[in-house]
Amino acid sequence: MNRARILSIVLITLLTLHGLLFAAFPAGAGAPAAVGRDTLVVAISRAPASLDPADHRTRESETVIRNIYDGLVTRDTRSGVHLELAESLKWLDDKTLEFTVRKGVKFHDGTPLKADDVVFTFERTIKTNAIEYPKPHTSPRRGLIEPLTAIEKKDDYTVLMHFKSPWPPAMQMIVHHQIVSKAYVDKVGTKGLAEKPMGAGPFKFLSAKTGLEEVALERFDEYYGGAPDLKPVGKACVPRAVFRVIPENSTRVAALLAGEVDIITEVPAELLDTLKKAPNVQVMTVPGTRPIWMEMNVRQAPFNDAKVRQALNYAVDKDLIVQKVYDGRAQPLAGPLMPTNAFADPALKPYPYDKGRALALLKEAGWTPAPRGMLAKDGNPLAFAIDTIDTTRSLAEALATLYRDIGIDASVRIWEYNVVRPKLLAGERQAYVGDWGDSAFDPVGHMEAKWHSSKDATYGRANFSGYSNTRVDQLIASGEREVDLAKRRAIYNEAQKLIYDEAPAVFLVLPMSIEAASARVQNWNPASDSRVNLHDVCLK
Amino acid sequence: MPERATYWGEASRVRLRLWRRAFAEFSYALWQRPIVLMGGILVLAFLLAALLAGQITSHNPMRGSLLLRFEPPAWQAGGKWAYPLGTDDQGRDLLTRIIFGTRVSLAVGVLTVGISVVVGTVLGAAAGYYRGWLDELVSRFADLLLAFPFLIFAIGVMAFLGPGFPNLVMALAFKGWVEFFRLARGEMLAERAKEYVFAARVAGQGHAAIIASEILPNIIQSVFVLGTLRLGYMIIMEASLSFIGLGIQPPTPAWGSMVASGRDYMLRAWWVATFPGLAILLLVMAINVFGEGLRDILDPRLKIE
Amino acid sequence: MRAVKILERVLCTLPIMLGVAIIVFFFIRLTPGDPVDIMMGRGGAVSAAEIEQLRHQFHLDEPLHVQLWYFLRDAGRGNLGYSYIRNKPVVELLAERLPATIELTLGSLLVSLLIATPIGIISAVRQNSLLDRLSMAGAFLGISMPGFWLGIILILFFAVHLQWLPAQSRLSYGLQLQELTGMHVLDSLLTGNLPALTDSLKHLLLPSITLGAGVAAIVARVLRSSMLEVLRSDYIKLARSKGATEWRVVIRHALRNALIPTVTVVGLQFGVLLGGNMIVEAVFSWPGLGRLVVDAIFNRDFPLIQGAVMIYAITFVLVNLVVDVLYTYLNPQITL
Repeated sequence: MNRARILSIVLITLLTLHGLLFAAFPAGAGAPAAVGRDTLVVAISRAPASLDPADHRTRESETVIRNIYDGLVTRDTRSGVHLELAESLKWLDDKTLEFTVRKGVKFHDGTPLKADDVVFTFERTIKTNAIEYPKPHTSPRRGLIEPLTAIEKKDDYTVLMHFKSPWPPAMQMIVHHQIVSKAYVDKVGTKGLAEKPMGAGPFKFLSAKTGLEEVALERFDEYYGGAPDLKPVGKACVPRAVFRVIPENSTRVAALLAGEVDIITEVPAELLDTLKKAPNVQVMTVPGTRPIWMEMNVRQAPFNDAKVRQALNYAVDKDLIVQKVYDGRAQPLAGPLMPTNAFADPALKPYPYDKGRALALLKEAGWTPAPRGMLAKDGNPLAFAIDTIDTTRSLAEALATLYRDIGIDASVRIWEYNVVRPKLLAGERQAYVGDWGDSAFDPVGHMEAKWHSSKDATYGRANFSGYSNTRVDQLIASGEREVDLAKRRAIYNEAQKLIYDEAPAVFLVLPMSIEAASARVQNWNPASDSRVNLHDVCLK
Repeated sequence: MPERATYWGEASRVRLRLWRRAFAEFSYALWQRPIVLMGGILVLAFLLAALLAGQITSHNPMRGSLLLRFEPPAWQAGGKWAYPLGTDDQGRDLLTRIIFGTRVSLAVGVLTVGISVVVGTVLGAAAGYYRGWLDELVSRFADLLLAFPFLIFAIGVMAFLGPGFPNLVMALAFKGWVEFFRLARGEMLAERAKEYVFAARVAGQGHAAIIASEILPNIIQSVFVLGTLRLGYMIIMEASLSFIGLGIQPPTPAWGSMVASGRDYMLRAWWVATFPGLAILLLVMAINVFGEGLRDILDPRLKIE
Repeated sequence: MRAVKILERVLCTLPIMLGVAIIVFFFIRLTPGDPVDIMMGRGGAVSAAEIEQLRHQFHLDEPLHVQLWYFLRDAGRGNLGYSYIRNKPVVELLAERLPATIELTLGSLLVSLLIATPIGIISAVRQNSLLDRLSMAGAFLGISMPGFWLGIILILFFAVHLQWLPAQSRLSYGLQLQELTGMHVLDSLLTGNLPALTDSLKHLLLPSITLGAGVAAIVARVLRSSMLEVLRSDYIKLARSKGATEWRVVIRHALRNALIPTVTVVGLQFGVLLGGNMIVEAVFSWPGLGRLVVDAIFNRDFPLIQGAVMIYAITFVLVNLVVDVLYTYLNPQITL
């Protein structure tokens, strides 16, 4: 009994104490989380998997990493690839690339960055089992730089890269590798690097909480300045930055509105207007890098007939979808490549919305209106299920509505990606609405995964339609090796036209990437590839 | 032989009279508790709404017009009385979807609890009566199942079976039967030692007949009360699973997935997630109030933990 | 004697643990979805060699019973494997997140007790008064609300509209807190860090209310009904007739006995809270175990799923044991 009394007294005291403290800091004063004047808080939707530049596969990891580490080259999504840590580059021949490393670059611990570090960085990416923590394994980034066979140091500030074949997208792909310090990794090991990252980028690593749910960074005052082509050059503007993980969309937006964070990424299109109306919030959109298609199973009826597939393309009012599903924040897709891809054919125009043409094509294929307005052929109704995952649910439902309008009995089914993927590859489903990332702005990494007919790990690994065209296969293979720009363009134009005409998919939209920031954030420009680059950003 | 027939016939008539009186007492007790009565009426209202959904609504619950997205509720600026509670992100009338959603919620709740009750009670009664290896085996298995947290277990099973209505019911019932098993077993252990069981054995009745006709009616009452209480819980579990994305498939309206898909729009169209949530609240509360009232009336001494 | 029985019970949990581990092991491996595939993501280039190597590294190319052997052997040494997605040992990941989940669970229990105890007592003492009816109505409300809905509404109201409380996470950035146990409230108390204490309590409040509402309702009702029963009993009448004040009767005599079934219920609720916090963690971005597990299930992160489920199972079983033992102390007539 005495115990109970003591317990209740302790509890009451704690409560009173809290109450007093609460009263001492009146509600609303300074906002619940008084974010320091000099700390920039960025809310992202998923935690980075790792802060080791060679040991991750996700965009979130790369986003945080590229604020701590710099690479030989960098990309500005508006103007392309630029030199960063590299002072100059020269192709000695089709398969050899020489980089000259900038002088005077320091790592965060003060040591100079030299050719040894560049060689070390790439070797640990391409060598088998070179990453020892947690267990020896090969870098997951190796696939991104597959053709690189060897790298050697020519002198203290020059390196030579040897590729096994000509590799046109080399520049775009080298962007995705950042330089680490050889001496540091030798000293602390891979585990030490993962726990306390140390690079040559604009921010130093301060601390990380609960795994990587919260990563705190501090400005590196001796930063060499960054890519000379991309202004502003010099050290970072904000003294401190924090990346925080908030998975729920509405919580993330609520946090921005409540003043708890300064920048948020991945804003759903529906919340755009709410944010625009809020005072002290600025909203920016950039073209995204995840185009969406509805791939149809071309191996079985009804989609084994090209006319039906084309008809389904004509039956979609893409402008209505852009307006209504994405609140205007999307672009219609013309063909298999997104409009911002460097090799998208400008001559291809999106399939126009033409109900009459769609019905005519369907009639040619044998599908005519049956008694209740639905299309049928030999007594069988034209019906199929549109499979998709949760993120593209609204789009799939809108599509189903549009198809029901012309008499096709379309329904929607939501899956978990991991469960539906093997079914798609096995050809068990009919239509799938999905996206595929294209963050290199080059057809490589994209076309061979989607439209090639092989079924292995690299080629055709996302070919959910079962599309198989030998000419397209040849074009894709030769496009990967063609160094001459004009010839490469011609190759991809032909491939795109073929895919456009045969329409193994309904080419839908490219949603925009929407980010928002509080009014005190200046000089902030979201990038298309979801990278959050904090170097330029300032706080008022 | 003729004596036997008379004995049974007489017994049935007596039973009927007893039932009639019990019913009258029950109705009177209900009348005395207006809140419980209200709960019961509300449950009935939801039930009717589920059955007559097509008749009382004028919109299509599955198909909407993209031009009518996010219409606000009728009493707000810009709202129309044609859409009393507003429309959702696909332009579908929210009130219609909520009414049709009653079907799913009630169906999931009733089926899940139904299966749990049947399986749990039968197993529990058998285990409690016969004891021995059957009791040991099933009890251990029940303990094992209990060690898993409900939601994680349900998620795991759904991931295994895939989404959809029958899988959802199975996933929920798979863990739900344990409670009824324990209850039935406990009651059976208590009852089997009583005199009337002994009397029936002496009269020559077989085991199964004893269980079915003598003991079960005494157990049924507490099982029934627990069932009504669990009904609300199952409905919330379905909503939670749909919230995570493993429940009922769109465009079929289900309250849980409606709240889930509406939560992204809370700041812009608060009604899309709020009203389905309110529906869950009202139905579950009505069921709980009525269930509690039932317990109160039928056996105030009964304590369900 | 009792100690021996406790030991017996503890040993009995081992086969349950083994059973859980094996069931989960087979279950997730039979679930459709290839973890290596998932690791590759939806975009970019991948090499066949890498996929082969990963499969080999995680023993996914071996028959199931071999994989089971590896798992059990390692688990016996305390090594629960490495997470596929997060590049870290499972034990480390679990240890990182466990304090947050425990803090949330304890916070919810505390909130629910603070709400339920006075309500339960007063409702019993003033039975059938307006207060009693209102609080019972409130209790019904508590158990009828879906947690995710309540959480969202609370955020909308208190964080966005009124801006009184934060919408997410555990601690504002900029507050230095020395971490001893990983539970922020406890650590700030232990290190005498006042700003961190207020801040972490503010962050804990909304999630605790969301999670604790249901528990408060249940505890209030159980307390009320057991209080009612106790208040009718003979020795209470005796205490009254001896001239003790009503207050004394209620608190000193009645409450003590009414606590017995209540404690059981509270203990059971601990297990329920532990299992139900993943939704609240998702809504409030609370970096705990629940969110980790849900992610792991969706990503088919086998070692992490196995490790996490086993932690839950162990905790649940141990809590039940503690409750049972506590029960025997409170009511000497019951034996283990």
